Amino acid sequence: MSAPNEDNLSSHSQLSSQFFENFLDSMIADVASECHRMAKLGLDRNLEEGEDELRSSVLARAQVADPSNSGKTNNGKDVHDIFGNDNSAAGNEIFKCMKCGKPTAVGKFAPHLENCMGKGRKSRPKTRSSTALQNQNRYSKGEECPDGTTEDS
Amino acid sequence: MSSAETNNRINGQIAPSQCPHLIDYRSRHGSKPFRALQDCLRIKPPGGRASIRRDPAEVPRCATCGDCSAPRHYACLACAVVSCHAESGSSHAASHASSMPPGHEIAVDVDRAELFCCACCDQVYDRDFDAAVVLAQTSSFTTLASDLSTAVSDLKPENLRKRRRVDYRPWSPDMRERFLIGNGSIPLSACNNNSGKSLDMDLPWGLRGLNNLGNTCFMNSVLQALLHTPPLRNYFLSDRHNRFHCQQKNGSSNHNTNCGGKRNVGESNGNMGARICLACDMDAMFSDVYLGDRTPYSPAKFLYSWWQHAANLASYEQQDAHEFFISILDGIHEKVDKNRRKPHNQCNGDCCIAHRVFSGILRSDVMCMVCGFTSTTYDPCVDISLGLEPSQGGSAKLASMKAFNSCNGEADCMNSSQSYGVSTLTGCLDRFTRPEKLGSDQKFFCQKCQIRQESLKQMSIRKLPLVSCFHIKRFEHSSIRKMSRKVDQYLQFPFSLDMAPYLSSSILRSRFGNRIFPFDGDEPDMANEISAEFELFAVVTHTGKLDAGHYVTYLRLSNLWYKCDDAWITQVNENTVRAAQGYMMFYVQKMFYYKVSEKQDVP
Repeated sequence: MSAPNEDNLSSHSQLSSQFFENFLDSMIADVASECHRMAKLGLDRNLEEGEDELRSSVLARAQVADPSNSGKTNNGKDVHDIFGNDNSAAGNEIFKCMKCGKPTAVGKFAPHLENCMGKGRKSRPKTRSSTALQNQNRYSKGEECPDGTTEDS
Repeated sequence: MSSAETNNRINGQIAPSQCPHLIDYRSRHGSKPFRALQDCLRIKPPGGRASIRRDPAEVPRCATCGDCSAPRHYACLACAVVSCHAESGSSHAASHASSMPPGHEIAVDVDRAELFCCACCDQVYDRDFDAAVVLAQTSSFTTLASDLSTAVSDLKPENLRKRRRVDYRPWSPDMRERFLIGNGSIPLSACNNNSGKSLDMDLPWGLRGLNNLGNTCFMNSVLQALLHTPPLRNYFLSDRHNRFHCQQKNGSSNHNTNCGGKRNVGESNGNMGARICLACDMDAMFSDVYLGDRTPYSPAKFLYSWWQHAANLASYEQQDAHEFFISILDGIHEKVDKNRRKPHNQCNGDCCIAHRVFSGILRSDVMCMVCGFTSTTYDPCVDISLGLEPSQGGSAKLASMKAFNSCNGEADCMNSSQSYGVSTLTGCLDRFTRPEKLGSDQKFFCQKCQIRQESLKQMSIRKLPLVSCFHIKRFEHSSIRKMSRKVDQYLQFPFSLDMAPYLSSSILRSRFGNRIFPFDGDEPDMANEISAEFELFAVVTHTGKLDAGHYVTYLRLSNLWYKCDDAWITQVNENTVRAAQGYMMFYVQKMFYYKVSEKQDVP
């Protein structure tokens, strides 16, 4: 149908905005229908519980980060743990290595055993157990734990 | 939300409450009209969206006003008249229902295949209708009979699947059994520890520090979690793997031990050539740790045995706790009698205690994006490794602190975690189970199309293990760039976790539009009693750098939290645990069920 350009334009833009609105309404109805079904069938996630957990987490992190609280946490090695053990004797106890029979300090057993078993300072083979490979794990190298000691490498 | 009207757990057997008009319609016509509708169900791949069309080219048009652009068109189930519907303003669908004699209230949304009651002006649900839709969807996707049978479970409620669970029957010993137990054991209170102190029974049973043997905190942290894994603890403490018996069977001599001796170092069995059995070493460790001695224990023998099993990991350096965990489960599995041992990929959890406790089954679906054909595989897994969301940078921490400050005094200003940038375990699980588009370089061969097509992959959990271990991938190693890095990003994890949304049945159900239908994994006969709820009982954390770090385990015993830092055990506030950097989280099922056992002899 022939018509002046302006009329064409306005009817075109009317048509496209109408099309857009219908499309949008249809999409909204899609979402509403899906949500309605989930709510009626009891499939919707318990949002309140999730929010509670998040809130507890935020509060917890704030509390832990608060410098006035850190004095209460027991970092001290000069205090006793819940069993009344103190840290003084940690790792110094001597026992017999089950492979070679030599008396060894508990805290130095791992390096001792490594030598004892002939592992020593050989380069470690790249192979891993298949389950570890499946999980695509990467190990973290470390130097020392607070209670352990390092040997010269 | 009116989910109070229905049960919390949906499965194929639940029928939501129906409006009186639908009930009336059903009583008059049964489910025949729904089956008749099947011919009109048009399924659009790949998503499987269902619509109602009398012929494929039909354009729904309101019989009253001729409109075909309204967002919703409803076809009357009684007379097939199509009417448009608008919430505000005129609804020709509603006027059709009221102007006709009774029986024309129920209609179907032609674009969404949803039932609608024009009298109540609300969407309604019917199990048989949903079943018809699901059947149409599955038959349009599959050509292979085997796939159809896995997707479709039996519909008839009378034909229940074989009952796989037995009811719990409590047991207590009778007089004779009491006598036998008393004769064959010594009360714990009569045992002395090293220093002759009477045992401290007020503190949790089995709580004992583990000495660091030299960079072995990775081992201690995992051992602490295992020592307090309920089904594992129960197994060993009930003497289900008797180390003396096991070694006798394997022809090695054994040492007799009593609980009065020095039991804080795992000692040799006295036979250098003894066959290694990690389960035996575990049994010995459980005995020693649960004895009641509160001085730190040295798992030296365990280390020795493990290094013999995992020769490639036997070196004095800090290692990955998760790798150690996998390695010892592997070791316990391997020691099972060779006759009974199945290859890993067939392991269904009956082979050894390690798998009975930790092994679950993952389901992987790959769907062709052109025709909708789905290929399904099942794989056992002993844990789930989750990647963290790409880092939000410093904004995550800042955002959560801001939220805390602004929330002071305001009850409900917390929005979803996404808006605050906090990563959560449930968020990671959502991402783990969400449909993932495989790249164009990973096109999957579709059996229906017979060519490689772009596909959508989705993971779900077919069978939950008794104990779920979630491993957070915090250590990244790039072989290309030859560098490793640690991701310190905080992850929120809940103390109680509902795994239902991640089950195969739930994931499948949502893929089919959440229709009422028994999907893979649903249990028709125990519908309302299946629980996928888990409780957190141990958290292994890593602090420090990749090169120089430290593992610590938090244990939850009688709802109190204890920090196990090698030999140092302290009680901590639960906030400390919430704020910690979780690396491995251990959850146990809240409810255990007895499974019907086919065989008498259980390992």
